[in-house]
Amino acid sequence: MINTSYILPIFVLIICLIALYKKINAFHSFTEGVKDGFSLFFEIYPSLLAMMFAIALLRESGLMELASQIFIKLIPDIPSEIWPMIIFRPISGNASIAILADIFKVCGVDSLQGTMASIIQGSTDTTIYVLTLYFSSVGIKKTKNALGIGLLADVAGISMAIFLTLMFFS
Amino acid sequence: MNIIWLSIICLTTLYCIKTGNIDCINQVFVNVGKETFDFVIPLLCSVAFWNGVLYVARDAKIIAFLEKLAHPILKRLFPDIKEDNETLGYVASNVIVNMVGLGSAATPVGLKAMQGMQKHNPNKDEATRSMITFLVLNTAGVTLLNTTVIAIRSTFHSTNVTGFIPYAILATTFASFVGLLIDRWWNYRD
Repeated sequence: MINTSYILPIFVLIICLIALYKKINAFHSFTEGVKDGFSLFFEIYPSLLAMMFAIALLRESGLMELASQIFIKLIPDIPSEIWPMIIFRPISGNASIAILADIFKVCGVDSLQGTMASIIQGSTDTTIYVLTLYFSSVGIKKTKNALGIGLLADVAGISMAIFLTLMFFS
Repeated sequence: MNIIWLSIICLTTLYCIKTGNIDCINQVFVNVGKETFDFVIPLLCSVAFWNGVLYVARDAKIIAFLEKLAHPILKRLFPDIKEDNETLGYVASNVIVNMVGLGSAATPVGLKAMQGMQKHNPNKDEATRSMITFLVLNTAGVTLLNTTVIAIRSTFHSTNVTGFIPYAILATTFASFVGLLIDRWWNYRD
């Protein structure tokens, strides 16, 4: 398999070489980006805290484990910690980030569960949130089969993520 | 979202009261504010850094270049707006910006793309097939560099921060492919 530690340096290098060639003020662009990155984060912090709260309650109450026990009987290959991730990934980006952090904390970031959760997080976007936001912004009420297709694509992406992790990391 | 959130809180709290597991729940109430803050601050710094890098890419017109590359493909995917270059441009930049991992910068252009498609919509409260294709591309969209996951993994001191990337790319490509295929099959038979 390719050595992934080259991905980020090469990515940054290509951007900087092009910036040098085009003679843009890259220093200024970078600082602008950092500034916008900060303000953006404060926008999502409140909802992230709300989701962290709900996920912490689910975990500490033992309900999350109870539900996972049921699912693990269905497909025993998938670690029980992953199920909340699978369920919440299409619903809320903040919830899945909260679960991702939770899995890293409990199982470790480089564990099988941690790797699987990272790949799942990267495999798809939050379908339900995006559909609600985009359709309501132009006043569309009949969304036809958009939700169905979006969720099927999520199932495909998540299954692929789990399959790849089990293939290459266990 | 509101209902899901409230029912999680009520259900878990009731469950804990029933099982007498009340200390755990108190722990959450006391600690969650500080724990989230501790989690977010290093993450914030890391996300801000990647945002900076991606802004350099944007200002060096790399993103605009990728958008131009995507144009001919998108024209085939969106036959009913192919005359409207402005809307198509918004669609292209939404897809590309998502692809390089500037997810939040994608939303404003995405909403503009929706408005553009709504102009061509004969039936204002019903979704057009272009809209559905667009949203499938958006929700299952290919993300080449998921900067949020990279940031979280590095705040947890992963020994292999970028190890997940090739697999994530494979999985998201597969998801987009399946999404577009189902969309084609379901909506383009007429």
